Formats: sequence, structure tokens, C-alpha cells
Amino acid sequence: MTTITEPVSVTSPTDLARRIALPAVLVVLIGIATALQPSFMSGSNIQDILTQAAPLGMVVLGQTLVILVRGLDLSVASLMATVAVLATAFNATSNAMIPVIFVAAMVLSAMVGLASGLLITRRNVSPFLATLAMMIVLQGLRFAYTHGAPAGSLPPGFRTLGTGQFFGIPIDLCAFALLFGVLGLMMHRSALGRQIYIVGGNPRAADLVGIRSDRITILCYVLSSMLAGLGGLFLVGYVGTVDNFVGRGYELDSIIAAVVGGVALSGGRGTLAGAVTGALILVVMFNIVIILGLPIQAQLVIRGTIIIAAAALFARNARGA
Amino acid sequence: MASAAIPRRRVRIDLAIATVVGLLIVVLGFGATVSDRFATTANLLTVAEQAAALGFVAIGQTLAVLVGGIDLSVGAMVTAANVFVASFVHGSDVLMIPGLVAVLVLGAAIGLVNGIVTVRTGVHPLIVTLGTASILNGLVLLYTLQPTGKVPAWFEDFAYDTAFGLPIAGLVFLIAAAIVALVLARTGFGRAVYAVGGNYEAARLAGLPAERVTLMVYAASGFFAALAGAYYVSRTGTGDPRVGDPMTLASITPVVVGGTQLGGGKGGILGTVLGVLLISLVNNLLNYMNVSTFIQWVVQGLIIITAVSLFVNRGKRL
Repeated sequence: MTTITEPVSVTSPTDLARRIALPAVLVVLIGIATALQPSFMSGSNIQDILTQAAPLGMVVLGQTLVILVRGLDLSVASLMATVAVLATAFNATSNAMIPVIFVAAMVLSAMVGLASGLLITRRNVSPFLATLAMMIVLQGLRFAYTHGAPAGSLPPGFRTLGTGQFFGIPIDLCAFALLFGVLGLMMHRSALGRQIYIVGGNPRAADLVGIRSDRITILCYVLSSMLAGLGGLFLVGYVGTVDNFVGRGYELDSIIAAVVGGVALSGGRGTLAGAVTGALILVVMFNIVIILGLPIQAQLVIRGTIIIAAAALFARNARGA
Repeated sequence: MASAAIPRRRVRIDLAIATVVGLLIVVLGFGATVSDRFATTANLLTVAEQAAALGFVAIGQTLAVLVGGIDLSVGAMVTAANVFVASFVHGSDVLMIPGLVAVLVLGAAIGLVNGIVTVRTGVHPLIVTLGTASILNGLVLLYTLQPTGKVPAWFEDFAYDTAFGLPIAGLVFLIAAAIVALVLARTGFGRAVYAVGGNYEAARLAGLPAERVTLMVYAASGFFAALAGAYYVSRTGTGDPRVGDPMTLASITPVVVGGTQLGGGKGGILGTVLGVLLISLVNNLLNYMNVSTFIQWVVQGLIIITAVSLFVNRGKRL
């Protein structure tokens, strides 16, 4: 609320320290992982990690947008799975169907985001409840359609999208980088981006200066849903099979990544780059769990600890968000 | 603002409760025409018995929401309590009562930790309790991936027993709800819960122990979730590391449907009790109509959307 006029610039030494702290934590974690297992830094392992991280990264971009406008999107994981089921519904065997699948998935995602956004802005429903309800409705529809076990098949090209490479760079990572670049430009070089920060910083002030905060908010939910839909498609390509829980846990992980990356849940503060760094920190930590040979459930304990610790670290005043 | 808000608030609460009561009547009437077995005493008593677990958790959730927060750790707490009791007791008669006491104390203690972290760090309870949920789930799954442990047979009977012709579990739920409702309506603590939920800073400046009230509310929520976990042991006779998974979200629906508003300060236990009955009846009716669980989820989502869209909250949002 205090820095709405210069949302992205460094305003104080503490801010500066925070900005350096985040990449520093990432570097330290990478150092630890490498010390534990030197092959961590090998080209193929890094490629693996980034291929896995790209779909999460897409979801994180969207989650950050809605958190910036004082929201939250709990429906992202459910939407990812729903989009995955939709992709198999075409039962396509030819790669020519891939664009059709993408368009259908994007239309569905945009509609879900629009519905959440309308509930939140027009009916003043809390973002938490609106997206929660959306999550449950999508889950029910998906299970009702698949009767519990998805059956259809995906075009063979999907696997390439999830695991293939483009001049040695994973394709899904290229897609993520493109989205990150475009959204980064939007946030920091366009009027729309500044409006998003203003709406998140102080919606009433935004209305007073003539910004349609409702529309900006709805747009953020639509973008979040579309990014989650894209994440779902690429994740299906990576995993290769569709079940009802593609993307399970991504709603929590994307929120954790944003919070760890310094995006304030109270809105208006934080950057996409920070959130993406947060996502990388998360991914490297999960990898360390695997390197250490700990049971996969230990990740849950670590997740919980990180999110509380990170949120406490960034809490600015006694009542915070 | 305060003088204008009071009469309006009364009208709102009555509106929410009247709506739920109306819906209950509609569901009962509709159910009676659809199935012969729905509106029978036997079935309604079964519903009351099955509603107990959701009811316990929803009482705690109502308190957390009233004070302006939310408790997303209740599902994990139900699971942890469930596995703890079954593993600790392990079929022993002697350990049964100590196990129950221990789990309720532990539940309250973990809830208290939620409260302390929330109050001391200023982190939003949504995040704190999600974190706690993740930690609890992780610990339980590190301990066991399969249902484990057992309890004495007499404790298993308890879940299905009746007293005065009514299921014991349903009675315990109603008594607990009545006690909490009385505390909220008649004690200084209850008034403080509404005051803190209405405006934390104002309540603190007015000399109310806002921090202590918040801590006690989260402790109560942990206590009730642990109670639900213990009740599940009685129902199933074992500790299931997945039993509480759906409870977190399920506990929020009756609270919201009953007219308690996210953001705090408005609502109450009566609405939640009616909300629990409504949700349980609807699910029961859908079962009779052979509607799949999957469609029941859709219905639940639509109920949330309808409820929160009807009772528009023009004040704070969570």
C-alpha cells in the first residue's frame, strides 16, 4: 500500500537485502545439492529439473498475477487435470489435432477464470471461496465424465511437447521462457502492468483514478486459468499419461513459490521474477530430498515448514496479510 | 458504522438461517416424494450419526472463521488424531481412555501452535494452517502408508450406539454445539470472539485480549478436529492415513452455508449446525437417488457458490 507509485523499484536497504537474499538462497541450495551429489550440476540433470519445473513455472506466473490483485487461485491444479482429461476426450491419433486441443483447452480455461473473476468482482465473493468452489465443481465434472478412470488417448506429438528439445533446450522450458518474457514486459513496461500493481496496492484508489479495477482483476483470473491450462497440457506431455490428478498439489506449490519469492498475499507487492525464483528454490529443495534418499513424504513436511518460514520472514507488520 | 451495523447484522443472520431452514424443509419434502426410505426416522437418525464427524470439525471451523481467520489444518488434524489413537491404543483396554485424553490435548496444543504462529508472525492463518496441514500429513505418511492400529471392541460399538433412542455421536455433536453456542452468546469470551473478528485492532485497543482470544479459538479448532479423528477410530476401528483428506474443504461449506462470513465477526453456531444437517441430508438424498459421488462434488461446489453469492459480504474479505 505504501509504494504503489513505484511498485518495482528498490525503495529501501531492506528491500535491496531481500532482492539479493532470494537468489542467494537459491545459489546456496544449488551448492548444497552439488556437494551432496556432484552430478546434480550435470547438463542432463539440470535439463531434467527444468523440464519438470516448467509447468509449475507457468502456474506460478498466473498465481502471482492473482495474488498481486489481492486474490488467490485454488482452482489451478483442478483445472490442470480437467484440461488434461479434455485433451484425451478428443481421442486424437493425429498430431494435426494438437492445435485444436490447445484452443479448446484455452477456451475452457478462460471461461473458468472468467467465472471466478466475475464471482469475485461482481458478487464480492472471497477469492478463496470462489476458486475453491470452482476447484470442487471442476473435480466433480471431471470425475463424472471419466467415471474415475480417464480412457482416451493423446496425439503422439504431445510427448514431444513435454519431453522434447529445441536446439538442446527443453520445449516446455522454451514455452515457459516465452510466457515469462511476455508477461514480464506486460508487468513492467506496459500501462496494464502498472494498473495491476495499483489495483493490488489500493483498489479504491485505482477506481478513483479511473482504472477499472474489476476488469483488471477479472483479467488476472482469466490469465491465471489460461496459464494453469497451458501448464496442464505441458505436464501431460511430460508425464505421458492422463489421470484425474494431473497437477495435484500445484495449487499449494504455486502459492508457496510466490510467497517464498516475496509476493505479498496482501497484494500489490512482488514480482514475477521473484516468484519464479521461489519456484526454483522449491524444485531444488525437492531434489535435495530425493538426493538424500529421504522418503517422498518428507517433501510434505519440508513444504509446510518452508511456507510458514517464508511467510514469517516476509511478514512486515504484526497483522501482516 | 457500529450503530448502523447492529440491526442490519441481525436481519442478515436471520435471513441466512431462514434460508437454510427453508432448504432443509424443501430437501425433506422432495426426498419424501423421491424415496420411501428417505424421510423415515431410521434414515434420519443415520444421517444424524454420520453428520457428527463433519459437525465436530465445522464447530471448530466456525470459531476460526468468526475470529477472522480460517483453519485449513483440520483435515490433517483429523487424520493425525485418527492414526495416533489407533496406533497408541493398539487394542488395549487400559490405554483407550488415556489415548483419547492425550489426542484431545495434542489437538488443542497443535491448534494453539497455529494460533501462536499466526499472532506472533502476522502471517495469514490460511498460510500458517496450510503449512501445518502439510507437516502433519507428511509426518503421518512417514509413519504409515496403510491403515494401522486398532481399538477395543467396546469403543467401536460406541460410534453406532444409541442413548434414549438417539445416536450417541449425534447427541455429542448437538451438546458440543450447544455449549459453544452458549459460550459465544453469553460469555465475555464469546463477545470478544465477535469483537476480534469484527475488527482486530479496535478490539485490542478497547482492551480486549485479542491475542489470547485468537489463540484459544485455534486451540478449540484443533480440539474439535482431534475429536472428529477419535470418532472416526470408533467408526472404523483403525487409523487411516487418508481419512481426513476431504474434511478440510467439507468443513468450510456448512460454515459458509450457515451464514458465517469469511473475514469474521458475523455468524454463529446455529447456522453451522443447520448447514451440517443440510449438507448431510443432501448427500444422503443424492445417495438414495443413486447420484454418483462425483456429481455430489459438483452439487457441493454449486451450494458454496450459491451461498456466498446470496449473502454478499460487503465488508472485509479473506
